[in-house]
Amino acid sequence: MSAEAPANTGSVAAATAAGAGGGAPHVELRRVTKRYGAVTAITDLNLTVEKGSFTALLGPSGCGKSTLLRMIAGLEEITAGQCFIDNVDVTGTPPAKRRIAMVFQSYALYPHMTVRQNIAFSLSVAGRSKKIQNERALEVARILELEPYLDRRPAELSGGQRQRVAIGRALVRKPEVFLFDEPLSNLDAKLRVQMRVELAKLHAELGATMIYVTHDQTEAMTLADKIVVLDKGVISQVGSPLELYNAPANKFVAAFIGSPGMNFVAADIAAMNGRTASVILPGGRTAEIGVSAGANARLAELGVRPEHLTIVDPNDPQAAFAGAVAIIEHLGNATILYVDTPAGQLIVEGEGDLDAKPGQTVGLRLSESHARLFGETGATL
Amino acid sequence: MTASAGLASDLTAAPAARRVRRLRRFDLAGLLITLVTLVAAVIFAFPLYWGLVTTFKPEYEIVRPGVELWPERFTIENYVHVLTQTKIGLWYVNSLITSGAVTVIVIIMAAGAGYAISQLSFPGRRLFWWMILASFMVPIPALIVTHFIVLSQLGLINTLAGVVGPQLIAPVTVIIYKQFFDSVPKDFREAAVIDGANDFQLLFRIYLPMNWGVTTALAIITFIGAWNLFLWPFLAISSEDKMNITVGITQVHDAFGVQYGRDLAVAMLAALPVALVYLIFQRRVTQAIMLSAGIKG
Repeated sequence: MSAEAPANTGSVAAATAAGAGGGAPHVELRRVTKRYGAVTAITDLNLTVEKGSFTALLGPSGCGKSTLLRMIAGLEEITAGQCFIDNVDVTGTPPAKRRIAMVFQSYALYPHMTVRQNIAFSLSVAGRSKKIQNERALEVARILELEPYLDRRPAELSGGQRQRVAIGRALVRKPEVFLFDEPLSNLDAKLRVQMRVELAKLHAELGATMIYVTHDQTEAMTLADKIVVLDKGVISQVGSPLELYNAPANKFVAAFIGSPGMNFVAADIAAMNGRTASVILPGGRTAEIGVSAGANARLAELGVRPEHLTIVDPNDPQAAFAGAVAIIEHLGNATILYVDTPAGQLIVEGEGDLDAKPGQTVGLRLSESHARLFGETGATL
Repeated sequence: MTASAGLASDLTAAPAARRVRRLRRFDLAGLLITLVTLVAAVIFAFPLYWGLVTTFKPEYEIVRPGVELWPERFTIENYVHVLTQTKIGLWYVNSLITSGAVTVIVIIMAAGAGYAISQLSFPGRRLFWWMILASFMVPIPALIVTHFIVLSQLGLINTLAGVVGPQLIAPVTVIIYKQFFDSVPKDFREAAVIDGANDFQLLFRIYLPMNWGVTTALAIITFIGAWNLFLWPFLAISSEDKMNITVGITQVHDAFGVQYGRDLAVAMLAALPVALVYLIFQRRVTQAIMLSAGIKG
């Protein structure tokens, strides 16, 4: 796995999304650019997805993740660059011949066809016999537990069942690469969790390469073995979910991954001591934060996740910040506090049974080993 | 005891409440609209009634001055004459063939053209679209001389194919299809494209079945239009054997000239299939009229 953040390479971003074992490249985009008239959606992007991996393309709306997926599918023309699947250049190959299958956000189930006909549609247009169509539809329906619904129409199915039919339609083609375009975003929260588990199970069973577009970081974190974070058409970082969470390459990734989001506080760097930097926090306290070798900056932003701030007594000598509790959210397993401090409002995640009251003055201890410093360009120091 | 007391008060209150409800339900505007509609319906239906009643009158009664709303002597002689002495059976078959052909060809061509303009990108697509839009600004009767010349040069005058030909110009149908196909979410198309469907499969297996309602509506209205058409078949056909039913009516006369009862009897028989189609598919016909009215403005 390698990732070059755009901060130091300009418009070029190179990334490899590999499975845990780092298998052979399966889908590869080389210097891909996509323009719509004067608007550039994807800029000179390189991406390698390894065979058998579950790769999530994650980013906010308009970051180009769906465009990227559609270019791999062949639904969107590539303005410049090449797309390879299994080392074959498929840049000009029609979608049907790329050995891919795609699950759409809207499911795109044909309303006038039964579940069986929907699943077997690709076989039917390919002129396969009715017998084969039936056998394969049944086989897929068994895997997805859709057998009782084979003769129903999509309108007679629940959201989750429709989603499974959409997956079934992809499965029946026995593709090499599965492409998912925000497939769970139309489901309610509970069903989404259930379908997430089913998708993970399916990936484990099939071992097929899956590329999954989502703006939901929880989906990406729970499903993918590698996440590609996109920002304005360039790759911000590629890595495993924990790598992205614990070692974000830049402020954008740090802010995007994690819920509640990371706190950012302006900090002056007093001294650089090799792999640590002494920073002066608003309020005058100092902290020692780890940085990469050779990092150099005067001004920085300190990033700390809510769970790495601990509520202490305001007079505690270890308290980095002090402030008044503005809002308390009880989530059961955790308590989220919004604390107004001289450094701005900070979000703190405490134990579920944390006892605090709005207006109460608290001190916040910073876990220095977990905090990160971001330079003026946004890159992690 | 309280329960029975409550019941008693309910009973006394009930008629008053019912009166209030009835008053509330009394809708003056609704009543007026209903009355106006009824009067309009009578005005529209009267000629039809008059025609139907006339077919059951003997000719002398028909030409007699005065208005008689019911036959003095009821007769089916007009129908017997029309059914036994004219080629009405053949005219029916001709009408059925030409209207059926027009309907099938128009639907296939319009759906194909609508699909191409809506879904495909090819050079001149916009030009085609504007041509189709412009073409329905030209009234068909204005083109009738041109049609006659072209078809006569093709040797199609006095043939059923000649009757069908000019009726295949159906820009409104193309426009309606184009608009319906435009509104099909593009995910359906893309899913089918990934599944390997070609454009014919996309049209006939996805787009047309997904717009089955509009297809039936358009088919019915096209059929009714073709069945009722008079001017072009009247000009294109000269031999009695190739006439359709609307033109056939003009042939029902004898040495004594026009016999109104017989003419109206053919007219009634000619209108019968359309009336039946209308009664059976009333909702679809209304839908189709609304669709084309929306286009024509």
